[in-house]
Amino acid sequence: MITFLQATFEGLSLGAVYSLVAIGFVLIYKATDVLSFAQPALVVVGAGLISALAVDRGVPFWLAFFLGILITGLIGLLMERTFLRPMVGEPVFSVAILTIGIDILLRTILNNWIGLNPRYLGDPFQSFGNFGSVNLNGVTLKYLEIAALFTGIVLIILLSIFFKRSKYGVAMMATSFDQEAALAQGINVGRIFGLVWLISGVLAGFAGFFITGGFNTLTQASFLSALRVLPAVAIGGLDSIPGAIIGSLIIGLTQGYVAYYQLSIEGIIGFSLGSGFSLIAPYLIMFFILIFKPDGLFGTEEVERV
Amino acid sequence: MKNRPNLFTDYRKESSIFPNNTQRFWFVILIISSCTFPFFLSSYWKLLITTSLLTAIACWGLNIVSGLAGQINLAHGVFVGIGTYVSAIIGGVATSSVIGYELDMIIWLPLSGLAAALVGIIISPVSARLKGLNLGLVTLALVFIGSHFFSNLKFITGGAGLGRKAATLKFLGQDLESGIQVGSLLLEKNDIIYYFSLFLCIVMGLGVKNLTRSKIGRAFSAIRDRDIAAEALGINLFKFKMYAFALSSFYAGIAGSLLFTIAGGVEPGTFNLLYSIIFIAIVIIGGAGTVLGPLFGAFFFTTLPGIIQAILHATGLSDTGFFLNAGEIERIVFGFFIIFFLIFEPRGLWGIWFRLRNYFKAWPFSY
Repeated sequence: MITFLQATFEGLSLGAVYSLVAIGFVLIYKATDVLSFAQPALVVVGAGLISALAVDRGVPFWLAFFLGILITGLIGLLMERTFLRPMVGEPVFSVAILTIGIDILLRTILNNWIGLNPRYLGDPFQSFGNFGSVNLNGVTLKYLEIAALFTGIVLIILLSIFFKRSKYGVAMMATSFDQEAALAQGINVGRIFGLVWLISGVLAGFAGFFITGGFNTLTQASFLSALRVLPAVAIGGLDSIPGAIIGSLIIGLTQGYVAYYQLSIEGIIGFSLGSGFSLIAPYLIMFFILIFKPDGLFGTEEVERV
Repeated sequence: MKNRPNLFTDYRKESSIFPNNTQRFWFVILIISSCTFPFFLSSYWKLLITTSLLTAIACWGLNIVSGLAGQINLAHGVFVGIGTYVSAIIGGVATSSVIGYELDMIIWLPLSGLAAALVGIIISPVSARLKGLNLGLVTLALVFIGSHFFSNLKFITGGAGLGRKAATLKFLGQDLESGIQVGSLLLEKNDIIYYFSLFLCIVMGLGVKNLTRSKIGRAFSAIRDRDIAAEALGINLFKFKMYAFALSSFYAGIAGSLLFTIAGGVEPGTFNLLYSIIFIAIVIIGGAGTVLGPLFGAFFFTTLPGIIQAILHATGLSDTGFFLNAGEIERIVFGFFIIFFLIFEPRGLWGIWFRLRNYFKAWPFSY
């Protein structure tokens, strides 16, 4: 039971972090019709900026945290302005490949900077309590994971208020619904595109901190953890924000459960699943869900006319 | 009539592989000159060109499924990997940790292609179910599932970080590892691989060209342009998507089986996401949906390190401690090329070539 609670908690917190990036994905996809493969790289950029500011430059951590996240958002905005604006109206697949190009650029520079040794983000979470964790009836809760869960929920609530109440949020919804109609209503669609990328960049920055913070550390492999957001988005449906959140939770929980229960599962089925199975389990789930529901669990079905 | 190369009197002539004598002439020149390359190129460039030829075969494979049939496949590197490992099992040397049967090349070369094609056929029902980006995402999942298998099937691949030796070259009982003597001429192992790749490249290239003008190729184009319309025309989507995946993986498998015999060994970590993306990027940079495009792209991509090395040496940048090393510069240049080709020349290198050719064809008139 304790193992179960432990796995559930870790899975939920992981899912909350993934959901931040996933929402960014869905926002971009809905508003601009771009499936951004560069998002995982942005996640790592966020973490790298925080680490560079807080550890290398000696900026106070919280200042570095917010500065890093803000700069990540601005990099997202810059990407849209420079590379993606000329591609408006091009086939979705070409634009997706273009974001892979951006991803290669960002990752090459980042990997060069990260180097071979893991980098710390200079956050105080690892010094709280007992090595950054608190023991609750046998379940070890990491402060970083509690913070991730909390931040995830708060940001999601803030975003939903933003979409319902604010002028730009409503304009964003209108743009994702129908770009031309939005233009006709006097909405500056170009500005909305920029705003969407800014918000997605900021969300990626937050996620970057929680994925690599504390003892998780920033390494060249951090990118692979960030990439697991893709199956989350695909499971939920590329154009559904609730779907993105639920997909992320599914992926987070799967990863948590498999990590804790792989040995007992292997005992039941009688063969080894191989090391690192918890890392590809999300992809397997995505594979099967997409085969049975091609548009994801919550995605709108595409109606085609000849 | 004889002096009008673009005048066709029947459909058969127009759709032939080489519609006029000029093309036939240049094709023969190209083949003859490629045959002489090993005699004056340095061993470094010889290896690069051999790799380009094999990469071109793999890219033609991806071009069949993505460029011709329009099905996004992000997992092409996995099929290359399957080809590599099947050839390594059948043709490789057994050690205490990995299996190998040391059989003849004439057995493992076709079998590695067929094994990859079989996996392609198994995967293809997914493409009948999914379309566009979702298909891309599922094939992305295949990359990770594939790498998981590669790094965990230790008796085949040797395990992550260790790897195994690739297939040994033995053709019809003749051992090619130490080179063969033809008259007074000694052909080294790398020369033999070069000629073999050249031969395969010509055969496979003509195969793709032939495919584009066949019934299957036309069905592929119809599916790419509009799958619903194609289905309404009586094209069995399931069947032709299966053909596309099977052919594509066959090409990948053949390329993969030889690609790692050059270096002699292969490590399962090679077949990661970037490896698969490189193939897509080559097809995009070269020109998707064309026959010459992937060939251009493959040569461009594989010789890029050589060119960058040459530039670095010429400018002296490599000694001054530039903050990126050659491999990283190469990857950044590559990333920029993907972006710029997509924005400015979506038809790729082939598009540039096409415009150049037409410019000189009509010269001095503008059209």
